[in-house]
Amino acid sequence: MSNKAPLDYQLNTSFGTRKFTLSKLLIDPILVFSLLTILIFGLFVLFSASGQTVVMVMKQSIYVAIGLFLMFFISRLDQSVYKSFFMHLFWFGLILLVWVLLFPAEGYKTDRWIDLGFISFQPSEVIRLLLPLAAASYLTRNQKRNTIKDWVVVLVAILSSSFLIFKQPDLGTALIVLASGCIPVFLAGFPLLILIILIMVVIISSPFLWASLTPYMQQRVITLFNPESDLLGAGWNISQSKTAIGSGGFWGKGYLNGTQSQLDFIPESHSDFIFSVIGEEFGFLGIFLLLMLYGIILYRVFKIALNSSTEFSRLAATSIGFIFLIYIWINVSMTVGTLPVVGVPLPLISQGGTSILIHLVAFGFVLSMKRRQTW
Amino acid sequence: MSEFLNLDREKEAQTKLTNRSTFLLVLVGLFGFITLFQLVKLTVLDSGLYTTISDENRIVRVPIYPSRGLIKLSNGEIVTENIVSQALTISPSKTKDIEQTLKELKENLIINEIQLLAYKEKSIDKKSKYERVVIAENLSQQQIARFSVESDRWPSLSIEARLMRFNLSGPIFSHVLGYVGQISLEEIEDSINFSYPLSFQIGKSGVEKSYEEQMRGGVGYKTIEVDVHGKEIRELTRVIPKKGSDIYLTLDKDLQELARNELAGRKGAIVALDPNTGFIKALVSGPDFNPNIFNKTEIGDLDIIFNDLESPLFNRAISGSYPPASTIKPFIGLLGLKEGEIDWNTTIEDEGFFQLNEEGRKYRGWKEEGHGQVNLAKSIIESSDVFFYQLATQLTVDRIATFLKEFGFGLKSGVDLYAEAEGILPDRKWKLGAIGESWFVGDTVNMGIGQGYISSTPLQLALAVSSIATRGKIYKPKVVAKVNEDLIEKEIFLEIDSIKESDWEKLESSMVSVISDWRGTAFNLNEIAKNKIAGKTGTAQIKSLTDEELTVKEEYEDIRQEVSNRDHALFVGYGPIPEPKLTVVVIVENGESGSAIAAPIAQRLIDKYLSKNN
Repeated sequence: MSNKAPLDYQLNTSFGTRKFTLSKLLIDPILVFSLLTILIFGLFVLFSASGQTVVMVMKQSIYVAIGLFLMFFISRLDQSVYKSFFMHLFWFGLILLVWVLLFPAEGYKTDRWIDLGFISFQPSEVIRLLLPLAAASYLTRNQKRNTIKDWVVVLVAILSSSFLIFKQPDLGTALIVLASGCIPVFLAGFPLLILIILIMVVIISSPFLWASLTPYMQQRVITLFNPESDLLGAGWNISQSKTAIGSGGFWGKGYLNGTQSQLDFIPESHSDFIFSVIGEEFGFLGIFLLLMLYGIILYRVFKIALNSSTEFSRLAATSIGFIFLIYIWINVSMTVGTLPVVGVPLPLISQGGTSILIHLVAFGFVLSMKRRQTW
Repeated sequence: MSEFLNLDREKEAQTKLTNRSTFLLVLVGLFGFITLFQLVKLTVLDSGLYTTISDENRIVRVPIYPSRGLIKLSNGEIVTENIVSQALTISPSKTKDIEQTLKELKENLIINEIQLLAYKEKSIDKKSKYERVVIAENLSQQQIARFSVESDRWPSLSIEARLMRFNLSGPIFSHVLGYVGQISLEEIEDSINFSYPLSFQIGKSGVEKSYEEQMRGGVGYKTIEVDVHGKEIRELTRVIPKKGSDIYLTLDKDLQELARNELAGRKGAIVALDPNTGFIKALVSGPDFNPNIFNKTEIGDLDIIFNDLESPLFNRAISGSYPPASTIKPFIGLLGLKEGEIDWNTTIEDEGFFQLNEEGRKYRGWKEEGHGQVNLAKSIIESSDVFFYQLATQLTVDRIATFLKEFGFGLKSGVDLYAEAEGILPDRKWKLGAIGESWFVGDTVNMGIGQGYISSTPLQLALAVSSIATRGKIYKPKVVAKVNEDLIEKEIFLEIDSIKESDWEKLESSMVSVISDWRGTAFNLNEIAKNKIAGKTGTAQIKSLTDEELTVKEEYEDIRQEVSNRDHALFVGYGPIPEPKLTVVVIVENGESGSAIAAPIAQRLIDKYLSKNN
């Protein structure tokens, strides 16, 4: 049995029993501590943003705990253990996506949820991790160069999953999934010529795409360009969010002292607009420190990716890093009014258990890909 | 070989990954820079602006309405007070679709069309957009209950207690007191030195309007912190409102009630005032209305009042213009004496008509057969028309108009009530301008008996007649005697000093004889009179009699078929003699007889007033 185990794994376990170090336990202490700091900070912010609701924070804490456990567990795994599973798991995720459209869970506004009784989760969140990992796994499955057929297979998988999510309807997640799928494809060396042609096609077909959006989604895009036009309607979110961040100034109004946040002026302040609460209560300084933490995490992820041993792990970890970065960028941009309000949560902080769980699982995979410096 | 190739390919893939990662990083970095710049702009560059917006969001300045000054009688009895009522208010800036909200309220029977106030949409930009606006007043218990059950549906609405105006005496003082109502946008814009809140109750007529400045008080303010639904979280500061001043009326409630009962809902007006001060003791215009319906403290249909053809809102006592008819005669007589055209002994033969020349039109007197030999005194006592036709012709319109102006004809007295009319005091220039014709002598003839173009308000007549009582002094008429503790002084309005004392006395005695002499037109008053008064009857023609073939009586029989064509009954008088204390003018529209209809009312009012004040 032990003969079949990879060398890496054997070395790791044999040394681990002999000498305990923090870096052996946590694999990448800087990354893990940065994550923990943001998670704890996030729970405090959630308390403030939710109108000081303990229940919501408790619920979130449970997800965080489960997420951390999963991250810790996955980080112990060797990539060879799970690499080939992703493609099968992806099919399973796709079935779940079809499932929610056919049998939506009762009691939710959109058809995003699967209710297992003891826990409810959004399959779209699961797919947005499975898709890039499966893509990375598929594109690096052998030593050969990828053929046109390989690219097409992956693109079809990406488009079908984002289309299913778009149908829920959830434009924000659909776009995130689309990006999540495209990032490993692009990084894996998708032919530039075809890419340019595809981009041209998208640009030409954009009027038709626009027509296929629901009026609600169109309105959200329109108000980005002129939020003042509809201050009580769709522009309300953006203008209140900007007001919150702007009035926070450099130092912020102080924890639990944000008037915009505490008096309910920011809509969705606990989920999509939680960044506004941070801006109002902790000011530019708070935002800066938070972005620094996110930066450290990204730096560690990319560093792990760069030094990683296999083609798969390099591609997968880099993709996870970019997806994380894009999450942050979209969320911050929409709260300050430079992107339409598309409903993307702030990673690790916004209310939403599945989202946090998936992010932590993703970091678990990244940690597991770190080249063991045990010899 | 293949091993080597593999390594090569893997290296190539890694280079590609690094390059493309770098490219992506730069791309996201570029877009990220825009967002980052926006963050700096919001939190550092424009922070002041957003701090202001965020404060405006949460801090709301709410007006605290002052308690409006009460209206009392001179004895301190309250006439108009403030009562608490529940109003439905809306916060326009917190309401997504105001039209929809109002529709829902109506559908849910929380408010009905009549209660719903005109929503001042424009006002939101002009005034503080965070101010609450009253949309329905005087909610019933049932409506409050209904709203409370469903109030979650309309978070921007709330019920607020506010003070409303209530007249304890109902319609008795209607035209004097007037009423209050929701301030209009124009009124907000037009007000100087006072910033009215959006839902202020402002005086719309009567003393409510003319003493608005004194009674409104000073608006207080509190600043409160609110949440997104406009719900109050805590109070930050408060400025106490200043209570408005109480005003005390000059009017005598008993006299007012009597006058109103005497008029008994007929169209017309009664003005009673103290000739020595100008203080109005009774002022009735019929028909009248219940101000509480306008104040929204009693339920009633305003449309019925607005559409009433008898115009109950029209204050005939100060805004109605009537031909003074024979009540003008004493003044024409005075002018004749002053100008030396006649003296008390000048007599003419009254044959029942007057002609300017032999072939001219016959101006008929009211008595077909004439009054025979008449002098000034007899002409006043019996009300000879012919004497005054003759006298007016001699005096000419220029002198008449100039002289009548000295008594306040054609002038606004400046009474402390709104919408006073000035009547018409015609002269050559006026006719050319208003009618477009030059003045004929015939116009002067008519003017001599107070007919034709001349018209005056009942209040003007009362002031002019008072000048006889005071021997030439006319005081500015007032309905308010006191504001808080400040007494309002009497003020001279006009002073006539060109008349000899003996002429005043003789004029008065001939006006006394109008009642006391058996030939007098108001001799009928002797039966009821408790006090000696001086007076003059008048019968204002609505339709002129022109058919010379018929007698006056015959022709009038035709005319009176239509009630609205019937003559107005007038009486002006004052008493007691000597030392008059009250001037009374009574006009009953289409009452036909000054002596039978108007005069007894005046006599009873003077008697009542004197019995109270002795």
